[in-house]
Amino acid sequence: MIAVSLLVAASFLLFFNGGTKEKGKAAEKAEISIIWAEYDGLTPEFADQMKKGFEEKYPNATLTVISTPWNQVHDRLITSLGGDNPPDMSIIGTRWVLEFKDQLEPPEKWVSKATIDNIQPGAKEAVVDGVLYALPDAIGPRIMFYRTDLIDTPPVTFEDMLSIAQKVNNPPDIYGVGMSGKKYAELTEFVYYFYGAGGDFFETTSDGKLGKCTVNSPAGVKALTFMNDLVNKYKVTQPGVTNYTRDDTQDLMISGNLAMMMSGGFTGAILKKQNVSFGWAPSQMPYFKGSKPSSLLVTDSLAFFNTSKNKEMVGKFLDYFYSDEVQIPFQKLVGFPPVTKTAGKDPFFQTPVYKEMVKANAVAKGWPLMAEWSEATNTIWDAIGKVFLGKASPQDALDDAAKQIDTMRGM
Amino acid sequence: MIDGVKQKGHFWTTESKLAYVLLIPGTIFLLLFMFYPIFYVFLMSLFKTSKLGKIVEFIGLGNFKYLTKIRDFWDVLGRSFIWTGFAVLIKTLFGIVIALLLNVDYRGRKVYRTLLILPWASSVPISVMLWQWVYNADFGLLNQTLKLLHITQNPPFWLAYPIPAFFAAIWVDIWIGIPFMSLVFLAGLQAIPKDLYEAAVVDGVNAIQKFRFVTLPLLKNLIVIATLLSILWTFNDFNTIYILTKGGPINTTDILITFIYKYSFNFLRFGPAAAMAVITFVILLAISIIYSRFYFKSEE
Repeated sequence: MIAVSLLVAASFLLFFNGGTKEKGKAAEKAEISIIWAEYDGLTPEFADQMKKGFEEKYPNATLTVISTPWNQVHDRLITSLGGDNPPDMSIIGTRWVLEFKDQLEPPEKWVSKATIDNIQPGAKEAVVDGVLYALPDAIGPRIMFYRTDLIDTPPVTFEDMLSIAQKVNNPPDIYGVGMSGKKYAELTEFVYYFYGAGGDFFETTSDGKLGKCTVNSPAGVKALTFMNDLVNKYKVTQPGVTNYTRDDTQDLMISGNLAMMMSGGFTGAILKKQNVSFGWAPSQMPYFKGSKPSSLLVTDSLAFFNTSKNKEMVGKFLDYFYSDEVQIPFQKLVGFPPVTKTAGKDPFFQTPVYKEMVKANAVAKGWPLMAEWSEATNTIWDAIGKVFLGKASPQDALDDAAKQIDTMRGM
Repeated sequence: MIDGVKQKGHFWTTESKLAYVLLIPGTIFLLLFMFYPIFYVFLMSLFKTSKLGKIVEFIGLGNFKYLTKIRDFWDVLGRSFIWTGFAVLIKTLFGIVIALLLNVDYRGRKVYRTLLILPWASSVPISVMLWQWVYNADFGLLNQTLKLLHITQNPPFWLAYPIPAFFAAIWVDIWIGIPFMSLVFLAGLQAIPKDLYEAAVVDGVNAIQKFRFVTLPLLKNLIVIATLLSILWTFNDFNTIYILTKGGPINTTDILITFIYKYSFNFLRFGPAAAMAVITFVILLAISIIYSRFYFKSEE
């Protein structure tokens, strides 16, 4: 009995002693973590390589990569922030900056000036009250992808797009144009048509703030009516659009069932990676006759939380992340145009897809920067769904959505 | 016996001391990870909360009043009852029929029993993802099968429209829940003494009468317990709907539990979400109390 007790006591001593030693070792290491978005085209190996490269460069650092599907990054972030256990960094949609502003650490203090200066000035969108709260990791205007074996000249206007779609539509093998009608983290595809009709989601007040919702403007109604006509009148989209997210629609394009679709550079990267058997090319986003060319500009950012215990190491990671060593392979995989000036000079990015994106950048505009955007997006999605399912007219659905959004914002 | 009576009245005996000590870790665990979150949700439902769910200001029943302004709330509440009632009813009926079939002695019975447990033994998210693929309009197993068998060349878009999507989701919940019900009922059936059936045969009853007058009364308590558990699980079945439809199209497959998630993690309105969670808690508690009263009454 005594022997057993001694053995147990000795084990405890050894355990705690060993534990302290381990703890001592860990204390020397700066542990940082990142919620890493699984962009389309990005491989798990890339994250492994990035971690390995960083830890080799800074042997006293440990990087934990919390890989998360892009559509779930927001939820994961809310859970970790709400539970007082945020990561050191996270990829975020730039439009979320207002939601998390109080938790963000402005990176400029911790990142070298050379890194900041090397980032394209136009990409630094996460600025609130003159303070840069996050660095861009992905910028991408949306463009059109079309099948060159079916279409000779890509459409310039949406009216052209309709007539081309009617010509090439041959269901169930080929659908004229892809359409997603199932809720997704962002408001595709409505925004393409809405911006293409010259619409804006909110009026701008005299002091530069966002005023009442204007999604029910003539541009909004025109856009949604046209979308609904494509689906239910001309039937040139895939049927059952309310079952398709952006990703599902992209799958249809990859499987060769779509003649045209509007998407980001990532679709081009996947089409290339999949080595699809048909010809395809990028072109500018169509717009409505009488309106100006337009596109959606989406930027994601790399945010840095003020609760981080290793801010200096996070700064070093950001310097590493924005070096050509990481940026060039990262942007090649995800298919976005480079956010850094030096990576932009790489010959890889001088291809037609990137050229189209650079061209589209000139006319593209972003999402409204507001804290309630997630809920507003959900409301507009419901309006679109109601129209597609024949439960409301575009005007009624958008009037209702605008009213709900204004009420939600206390207007 | 006298010792036993004496000990019963003592709170701090040698034996109970050990029991209390052994109970401490479990109690701490329960307090921390079960009672504290429940308490916090109750608290949140009475307070204004920040975007990260931190309590800011007492507003009394403000969050509950806010729920009445949410247009979809009553639809979602009603749908939660339809979802639960329909799914539990079908699971119970299927469960009894399958249990009766598996209770018959025939060759290969063990194989069927093993196969039956598969949906229950598999991870729920993975099962739902498989069903998502089965329902896929373009490449899904169900529509391909319907086309191959020439049943229809234009199969439905299962998840694109409100009614088919709702029933498609219910079916997945039923499919996952049937094995549990069947196995519980099977265990109950095997506990029924065979001589009762033999006596019934001597009395000249037919198979339906045997089921009605012997099987059903003796299974009653098990049916009560199994359906109660199934009600609790089905009412809170987040996985199936969230993975399969995310509440769509246009929120027509949302039930309370997915709506709570939407309001908390998508819209960051933790106060109203907590109020909905409290309502869910009260509903399920009321159902449990009614059930337990019924159960203990029948025990007496």
